[in-house]
Amino acid sequence: MEQELREIVRKLLQEGAIEYFIGYAEGVEPLHTTPCFIEREEQVQALIWSPLCPYNLARYLHQMKNEAGKVGLVVKGCDARAIVELVKGNQIQRERVVVVGVPCQGQVDLAKLEEAFQGVEAVEGKGDTFLVTVGEKVHRVEKERLWREKCFSCKHPISFEYDFVLGEMSPLLLARGSESEFAMVEELERLSVEERRAFWRAQFERCIRCYACRDICYACYCQECIFESRAPRWLEKITTPLDNQTYHLIRAWHMVGRCIDCGECERVCPMSIPLRLLYKKVEKEVEQLFDYEAGMRVEEVPPLVTFQVDDLDLVTQESS
Amino acid sequence: MASDNQPTILVFACNWCSYAGADLAGVSRLEMPPHCRVVRVMCSARVRPEFVIAALSRGLDGVVVLGCHPGDCHYSEGNYYTRRRALLLKGLLEHVGIEPERFQLRWISASEGAKFAQTITEITGEIEALGPNGRKQPLPER
Repeated sequence: MEQELREIVRKLLQEGAIEYFIGYAEGVEPLHTTPCFIEREEQVQALIWSPLCPYNLARYLHQMKNEAGKVGLVVKGCDARAIVELVKGNQIQRERVVVVGVPCQGQVDLAKLEEAFQGVEAVEGKGDTFLVTVGEKVHRVEKERLWREKCFSCKHPISFEYDFVLGEMSPLLLARGSESEFAMVEELERLSVEERRAFWRAQFERCIRCYACRDICYACYCQECIFESRAPRWLEKITTPLDNQTYHLIRAWHMVGRCIDCGECERVCPMSIPLRLLYKKVEKEVEQLFDYEAGMRVEEVPPLVTFQVDDLDLVTQESS
Repeated sequence: MASDNQPTILVFACNWCSYAGADLAGVSRLEMPPHCRVVRVMCSARVRPEFVIAALSRGLDGVVVLGCHPGDCHYSEGNYYTRRRALLLKGLLEHVGIEPERFQLRWISASEGAKFAQTITEITGEIEALGPNGRKQPLPER
């Protein structure tokens, strides 16, 4: 599959169809891949595809606004939704992006992997198992044991927005429905208000406001971020639980109708704050109230920039 | 922030309907609890949800948004947007443990002075019953 990818990229570069290609490459350490930018044909050998490619490469399309020409990139199913959203938000033009869809077999959670094995050299997806190479030995591991949390409720393992597509789909992933998608949100919903407050308070207290969640987010493309505004100043520089809560709630608010659950925010959080649990709630409400799922079709209108005269009036509880 | 157990409630009132309604309540000398601070906005849709989030996170006890009745917006459609936002915002606030009563949206027209007084009385009562917003904290020293 990697060979197929390299050939596509080589051809695109040869034809001059793209300025550069964004893909994954081996990182400095084993198991840590890195995003890479391929500008010349001879560099295509660097491209890889494995279950250790978590990054949402659509994040790098923000810079296209200041560039000319086309760009190619690899997307997983979840990342494909980011491309649709960016087109919808007028951040990129679809015709300027060459999308290579890969059939994702689920991504490996590094923490889970490190807990299960020491000195892993490579991980490969095969059928409904991962092949984990440790030294001379190859272990067959059930995918469920190593998957990232978000992969359990994956609805779009294959990119539906693409110009090229690689390989075949794993039946295991295709079989997974969206049943458990909001399970963790529902679990929290069953708690009382006080319990939820205590839970989130403990989470927000740990936040060091490094803004990694914002910086990694494909949807955060504002020229001037609200959190950097000086007048009005929304946040103090110092991290207090109260300002942290303001930060996370405002960010969650900005995710309305945009979050595609790529899970990058949670992955990069140095304090392991369960951010998906926050954004998933917003996603759930949007889906239930307005029957809207982010990143599915370019023609769709985001839920908050439109309205229906007969929208439910659940807040005021008045008939009008 | 008010001392002791007196709540502080922030009220955003739209210029065209609710603010005039509040004025009517005042001119009619209707009685209502004094814990509200009214901010006049040109439209209920002017109230960014960020305002509400910041106010509640910083320890205000409640935020009330008042607008024209749907269909009566001075700008034709502002309050329809407000209605959608409020629905989502309420869900988000509840999710992180802010009682839903602390954020309220009501439609009050310019002729509804009595309704203004009644709404404020009701909401103040609800918020008083909840006690202070659990987050009250002094701002850091500068």
